[in-house]
Amino acid sequence: MTRKNWFCGSAEHSVSRRSFLGGAMAGAAAMTAADMTVLDVLQSPAIADELKRQDKRVILFWLAGGASQLETWDPKPGRPTGGPYRAIQTNVPGIHISELMPRMSQRLEHTAIIRSLNTKIGDHGGGAKLMHLGRRDESAIKFPDLGAMIARELGRPDSSVPDYVNFYTATEGRSGGTGQSGFLGARYAPMFLTTESKPENLGLPEGLTSADHKTRADLRQLLSNQFAAGRKSSSLGSHNEAYARVRGLMSSEKLFDISDEPQSVRDKYGPTLLGEQTLVARRLIEAGTPFVKVSRAWWDSHGQNFETHLELVSELDHVMSGLLDDLKDRGLLENTLVLTLSEFGRTPTINASLGRDHFPSAWSVSLTGCGIQGGSVYGKSDEDGRTVADGEVSAGPIFATIFRALGIDHDKEYHFGVRPVPLTNPGIEPLDELIA
Amino acid sequence: MKVDHYQNTLRWIGRLRLVSISNVANLMASVAPLPLPPSSFIPQQLMRHALLTCLVAVLAVRSMSAEDAAGLLPADQPIHEVVDHYVDLQLQAAGVGPAEQADEANIIRRTMLDLVGRIPTAAEAKLYLAAESPTKREAAVDRLVTSPGFTRHQANELSTLLMGKPDDKMLKYLKVAVAENRPWDQIFREMLAGKEENTREFLKSRVKDLDRLANDASVVFFGVNVSCAQCHDHPLVSEWTQAHFFGMKSFFSRTFENGDHLGEREYGLVNYKTTEGEEKTAQLMFLTGTVLEEPAERKLTDDEKKKEKELLEQLKKDKKAPPTPAYSRRAQLAEVALRDEERGYFARSIVNRVWDRLFGRGLVAPVDQMHPENPASHPKLLEWLARDLIEHGYDLRRLVRGLVLSKTYSRSSRWHSDEHPSPDLFAVANVRPLTPLQYAASLRLASMSPTWFPEDIASEEFAKRIEQVENSARGFANLIEQPAEDFQVSVTEALLFNNSSRINTEFLRDASDTLVGQLKTIEDTKALVEAAVWNVLTRPVANEADTLSSYLEQYSENRVIASQQLVWALLTTNEARFNY
Repeated sequence: MTRKNWFCGSAEHSVSRRSFLGGAMAGAAAMTAADMTVLDVLQSPAIADELKRQDKRVILFWLAGGASQLETWDPKPGRPTGGPYRAIQTNVPGIHISELMPRMSQRLEHTAIIRSLNTKIGDHGGGAKLMHLGRRDESAIKFPDLGAMIARELGRPDSSVPDYVNFYTATEGRSGGTGQSGFLGARYAPMFLTTESKPENLGLPEGLTSADHKTRADLRQLLSNQFAAGRKSSSLGSHNEAYARVRGLMSSEKLFDISDEPQSVRDKYGPTLLGEQTLVARRLIEAGTPFVKVSRAWWDSHGQNFETHLELVSELDHVMSGLLDDLKDRGLLENTLVLTLSEFGRTPTINASLGRDHFPSAWSVSLTGCGIQGGSVYGKSDEDGRTVADGEVSAGPIFATIFRALGIDHDKEYHFGVRPVPLTNPGIEPLDELIA
Repeated sequence: MKVDHYQNTLRWIGRLRLVSISNVANLMASVAPLPLPPSSFIPQQLMRHALLTCLVAVLAVRSMSAEDAAGLLPADQPIHEVVDHYVDLQLQAAGVGPAEQADEANIIRRTMLDLVGRIPTAAEAKLYLAAESPTKREAAVDRLVTSPGFTRHQANELSTLLMGKPDDKMLKYLKVAVAENRPWDQIFREMLAGKEENTREFLKSRVKDLDRLANDASVVFFGVNVSCAQCHDHPLVSEWTQAHFFGMKSFFSRTFENGDHLGEREYGLVNYKTTEGEEKTAQLMFLTGTVLEEPAERKLTDDEKKKEKELLEQLKKDKKAPPTPAYSRRAQLAEVALRDEERGYFARSIVNRVWDRLFGRGLVAPVDQMHPENPASHPKLLEWLARDLIEHGYDLRRLVRGLVLSKTYSRSSRWHSDEHPSPDLFAVANVRPLTPLQYAASLRLASMSPTWFPEDIASEEFAKRIEQVENSARGFANLIEQPAEDFQVSVTEALLFNNSSRINTEFLRDASDTLVGQLKTIEDTKALVEAAVWNVLTRPVANEADTLSSYLEQYSENRVIASQQLVWALLTTNEARFNY
C-alpha cells in the first residue's frame, strides 16, 4: 500500500526514524506487506469501522519500573540468564511462560504475546514516554498518549462516565505515569487517581442538597444558553459540554465503590490494591469508560530481582486471570482489550545483587481479548534473551495493532496547527498476525 | 451565481484599495456612458464584468493617492484609523457588513480584561457608562495603559509568551521592564544575553535541549516554527531548509549551563546530515537566509580543554558566571535580527502576537507560521503596523493602545444569523477564554462585596485593594488550564466548580466583605438580582431579570443559600468565563 506523505507532507520523518532504529524495521515491514487486500476490504466503508468500534474498551496494566520478560512472558529455563524459575506449558500447545504465571498459563487462548520489542530507550522517563505515546517524544509537539487517543476515538461527547481513568498509587515513577492528552487538550486528559481511590470532586459539596446542586446547574445552563446565542466558538461549546457532563459523572461515583460487588467477584481479583483497582476498572469499562489504566509499581529490580518478581508476577497473574474470567463471564472479553505494557524489560544478565537492570533490547508485552488472535506469539528473542532473533518491533507497531484490534484506523490524522499527525507515525503498520 | 461573481470581482477590487461600496455605485454611474454596444447584444453578466474591469483601472489610479511610497497609508495616521481602514476595505471586498459596535458595558469589560487582566468592579463599570464625554473611551484606555494593573497584566502575558506561563523570575524582570515601557527589541536582546538571574530563565529553561531552544526562540521572536526543517527541507515553505534550522541552532550551540549560570564558548560547530545522507557543517544563518561571517573557529588543545574544565568546575563551586566570550554567537543573532533589512520577521511577529491576543486570532494564523506560503489576512495592515512599531522604538504600549481604540476591536461578539463570516475578516468579535489569572482575579473581584472597595476608584486605597484581590487569586489560578489554540474546557474544571469545597470558601462565603454577605441583606428580590448581576457580569440586568427573580423566590426562607446559589450560577456562566 503506497501511502501519501505525512508529517509536513513529507516522508522524511519516517526515514529519519528508521535510521534511528538502525534499519531494524526491515523485517517487520516484509511481514506486514503480506495480505493487504484483506485489510483494504476491512477498512473500506467508514460505517463498518464505526460499527466495529462500538463499545470497545481497553484496560491497561502498566507495570511501572520495567517488568522482567524472563520472569513473565519469555522465560529462558536452563540458560545462564534464566534464573531460578521454570517455564510451564500453557493451554496453547507450544507456548511456555514463566511458572510464576500458573493461572494465566491456563487462559492463554485469548492472549497474544510479543517477545521482540527493541525500544532502544533505557531510562525510566524516556521509556515510559515511548510506551505511552507509541512514538519518540518530540520537543516541538506534545503528543497525546494512548489513553487520550482511545478516549478521543471511543469516548462519547455526552458520556456520563469518565473517558480515561488512570490509577497510580505508588510514588515511584508517578511523574512518568500521569498521562498526557497533549495537543488534544484537557478534554481528553485522564481522571488521575493517586492516593484516593475515588476521584476528586465527584461527590456533592458539603452542605448542599442534591436538589439545590441540580437547580443551580440548571440555572447556570439557562443563563449560558442565552449568552451563547449568536456567538460562535468551540471553546464556548466545550465549557457548556463540560458542565453538562457533571451530573452524569457524579452518578459514576458509585463505580469507584466496590463494596456492593459480591464477595465471589471480589475474590476473583483478590484483596490487594491492584486487585481492587482492577475491579473498579472492570466496573468502569462495563459502564462505558473506554480506557482505564491500572498501574502497579515498582518493578525496578536492580537487586533481588527474583523475590521482587515472585511477589509482583504472582499478584499480576492472580489479578489478570481474575479479570479475564470476570470479563468472560459477563460477555465483555470480546469487546475489551487487556494490555500489559512497561517502559522496558530487564537484562538477561543477572547482576551481583541478584538483580536485573534496565533492558530495552529484547523484551515482551501482551495483548488479550478484543480483536486479538489469542494463543499466539509474535517475534522471538535469542536463546539467552539478549537480542531479538526475529520480528523486531518498537512501540509504533504495537500501538497500530491496538488501534486495529479496536477497529480504529491507525492512519487517521489529527492536526497540530497545520501539521497532520496520524495516530501512529507514518509508515507504521499493525502486526497483522495478531489481529483476529 | 451572479452575486458570487460580483463579490469575487469586488474582492479583487478590494486589493486595489477600493475606498467604499458607495464609490462603486458612483463610479458605475460615471463609467456607464462609455460607448458600449447595446446591452441586448451581450449577456448581462459579461457587461457587468466589462464595467467592473474598467472600474478597477479607474479605482486603482484613484486610490493610490491615499498611500505613500511604500504603498501603505501614511505613517502619521493614528493606529486605530489604519486598522479600521484596512479591515473595512476587506469587509467591503467580501461583501460583508460588520457586527454592530458592542454596548458600553461590554466594551469596558473587554478593554479592562485585555489591558489590566480583570473585569471592572461594579462601580468602575457604572462610572464608565454614566460618563458623557465623547472621548471617554480614549480617556479610559489612556488611563488603563499607564496604570500599575497594565504592568502586571502585560508582564503576565509576556511571561506566558516567553516561558509558557507566568514564571516568578521572569515576572520580576518583566514588571520592571513593562513599568518603564522598555522597548521590545531591548527585551529581546536581554533575553538572548541572559546576563541577570531573571532574564537568564529564557535560555536556562531550554539549554538542555538545543533543538528546542533554537525552535522556541524562532517561534517566540520571529513567529516561525522551523522544527519540521530539522529532518528535511520544509515541504510547504521553500524558504525553510535544513540549513535554516541548523543555522538557527548554530546561534545557540555554544551556550551551556554551568551551575546556576550560563556560559558561551568560542568554539564548536553544528554538524548535520541532509536527507541525502550528506554530512554538512551548519553556517551561522538567520531565518532570512543571511549568513554571518565569523572569526575562524579555533579548536582547543587537550591541555586547554583540561584547563577550561577545571576553571568551569571552580566557577560552579564559587557560584560565579563563566567568562564572557570575546565573540558571542548569541549576540550575533540579536544583531542580525534587528538589522534594517532583516528585522521584518521580528517586528511582524510581535505585532501579530499582540493582535492575536486582542482579537482572538492573528493577522497570520497560526502565530508560529509566519511565512510566505501562509500570508496575512491583511498584509498591508501587518506591514503598516510593523513599520509603525519600528518607527516608534518597538513601543508595545503604543501598539496595544492603538489596536484597542479601533472600531474593529469594539465590535459585538454576537452575529445576527447562523452563517458566521470567515474569522479572518474580523467582522465580529471573537469569544476568547480567560487566562487562569484573568479568570481567577475576576472571580475574586466579583465575589467581593462592592462596599469592600473605597468609593473613590482613583484613590490609592482602591488600587491597593485591587492588587490585593489579584494576589489572592494566584493560588486558585493554578487550578485552571492555560488556554491554547482551540482551547477546550475540561470536565475537571467543571467538577471543581461544581463540587470542590474551595469554591465555597473562596467565592461563596457569607461574610461582611463578600458579595453573598452583602446580597443577603437586600430585601427586595429585584434589587438583589441587579446587585448580583452588576457585581459579577458588570452590566445592567437584562432579559434574565425575571428568571433570576423567580429562581430566588424558591429560597425565600433562606437568603444566604439563595444568594449563594445565584452567585454560583453567575460566576460559572459562559459570560463570566470568557472575554466576549
